[in-house]
Amino acid sequence: MTKKSFIIIFILCVGLIMIGCPKKTAVKEEPSVKTEEATKAEAERAKEAKAKEQFEKSLVAKQTPGVAGEVFESSLLKDIHFDFDKYDIRPSDGALLKENAVLLKKYTNLKVQIEGHCDERGTVEYNLALGERRANRTKDYLVSLGISSDRVSTISYGKEKPLDPGHSEEAWAKNRRAHTIVTAK
Amino acid sequence: MDSIVNNKMKRYLLLFLFVIFIAAPSAEARIYLDINAPTFVQIPIILAKWKSADKTSSPFSEKVYEILKNDLTLSGFFKVIDAQHLPPPLREKEGIPEASSLQEWAPGGGEILLAGETLLESNGLDFKLTFHLFDLVDQKHLVGKQYEGPLQTVRSAVHRMADEVVLQITGERGVQNTKIAYTVRQGEGKEIFVADFDGANVKQLTQNQSINLSPAWAPNGKKIAFTSYLRRNPDLYLIDVDGKNLQLFSRYPGLNVSPSWSPDGKKIALMMGMEGKSEIYLIDTNGGNPKKLTKGYGNEASPTWSPDGERIAFVSDRSGSPQIYVMARDGSNVRRLTFEGSYNTNPSWSPKGDLIAFCGRVEGHYHIFTIGIDGSGLRSLTSNSSNNESPCWSPDGRYIAFGSTRTGASKIYIMNANGLNQRGLTSSKGGESSPAWSRRFE
Repeated sequence: MTKKSFIIIFILCVGLIMIGCPKKTAVKEEPSVKTEEATKAEAERAKEAKAKEQFEKSLVAKQTPGVAGEVFESSLLKDIHFDFDKYDIRPSDGALLKENAVLLKKYTNLKVQIEGHCDERGTVEYNLALGERRANRTKDYLVSLGISSDRVSTISYGKEKPLDPGHSEEAWAKNRRAHTIVTAK
Repeated sequence: MDSIVNNKMKRYLLLFLFVIFIAAPSAEARIYLDINAPTFVQIPIILAKWKSADKTSSPFSEKVYEILKNDLTLSGFFKVIDAQHLPPPLREKEGIPEASSLQEWAPGGGEILLAGETLLESNGLDFKLTFHLFDLVDQKHLVGKQYEGPLQTVRSAVHRMADEVVLQITGERGVQNTKIAYTVRQGEGKEIFVADFDGANVKQLTQNQSINLSPAWAPNGKKIAFTSYLRRNPDLYLIDVDGKNLQLFSRYPGLNVSPSWSPDGKKIALMMGMEGKSEIYLIDTNGGNPKKLTKGYGNEASPTWSPDGERIAFVSDRSGSPQIYVMARDGSNVRRLTFEGSYNTNPSWSPKGDLIAFCGRVEGHYHIFTIGIDGSGLRSLTSNSSNNESPCWSPDGRYIAFGSTRTGASKIYIMNANGLNQRGLTSSKGGESSPAWSRRFE
């Protein structure tokens, strides 16, 4: 046997050993799969907990002078907007209400109130009627997504609580909104 | 030129005097229309310097003079000639003249002369006011009256005197002894205020920092109904005119807004939202017995009673845009009243029953209109490039109060029912809206 052939055999042996190696680890794979699943579930739980923490953190207590009760606002509950003198939900806003519905399904203790708001144009009383309709349309949408109607109340503020005090088209567009607040968490 | 104008004025005056002294009270309706005709000419009235009968009370007589002068100016029926603007011999002339000496007043340029005197009683607590009204064209005495009372009631006594002058000249008593309730924005909320017809005696009725809306006087003038968000729901409350006795009386879920008292004071028409959208309801004055009047076609808003209590005008957007409708008090016989424009709201039924004032949008701005109850005679009363909203009638139907943004922040304005003589009610910074006019207080 030449020195050369010995080297070849040695390499082959090493190669065989190396091929065998994965087999060996494959036997040990089972316990490590379990750990990964557990880790995954744990991560999921952690993610949930973090989301919940985030949601809870997002709740800002709000008291309005002259209006009974403490309520909470969350940046995670989305506002939707309306066209002038209209109360139908814009198709693009449906996705935002679905996000709100996901939160309501996740946190079953939540109770919310939908506030219907209008821009400053037109009269106090007619805007109160319009705001009532906007709030109730929004509520109906949530109910159609499976949210129990007794978890969603409504209130119309008409043109009394503008988000933007300006008198421009831009300000008016912001003010024609349905805003969701948390009344119980 | 002057004499032509003067002759024209004399003809007006003679017409009025004729109606007042010869025709029966049934002629009042004719006078009312005359006064509100666009061609109406204000009657020149001389206010002679008032005399202080007790000699020590000239500041008092000057005060009486100023309130009276303001009242007559605000009535819109007179061109008031202040004693200070008279030729020198007449400027200082005071006291009650003899009918035989009335020609002395000819250089003053008036057709009516009002002279008077004040007396402060020696106890310092009571007053006596005497006034006499003279016709300078026919040179005769028209009326003389005396008022007395404790000092704190002097403003009201002068208002009654001005009402009497308006009665003598126009055939119907004035509205100097009335009040106007309205809302004022304060911070994030709105509070209810009340002021006299001349803008004096401003009083804040609510101080709860909430959103308080749409005040409405009870027909007896003792209580005001309004909406407040105190319970985080727009509920209806009652409050006494002195700000006492706040009382929650309609708290159905959703809207309880825009109250309007039936003329007999037994029912309140209002907007309620318990079915998810605004409808017109009637409730008892204790909040009970709700009865729905509208049938759910659209958003229904702003009910207002006819003076006979048989019908209700309201807003509905059932046609696609808000318009004024009229129905019987049981909800039957619904009829659309307005067809011009795409945004007509805030109807207010006139006390004489023939007109409805409302707020309509024209080229992006909101203006006050009146329309006949048969849908004819649409008339625009405001025309500036600002917003004018929430018209309401004075109890005699000769004035309309409304909110206007003509000077920036919204303020309450009053005009004659034909749109003339528009003037601000108070000297506040603004934020005022939703005026409601009381009945006459005696």
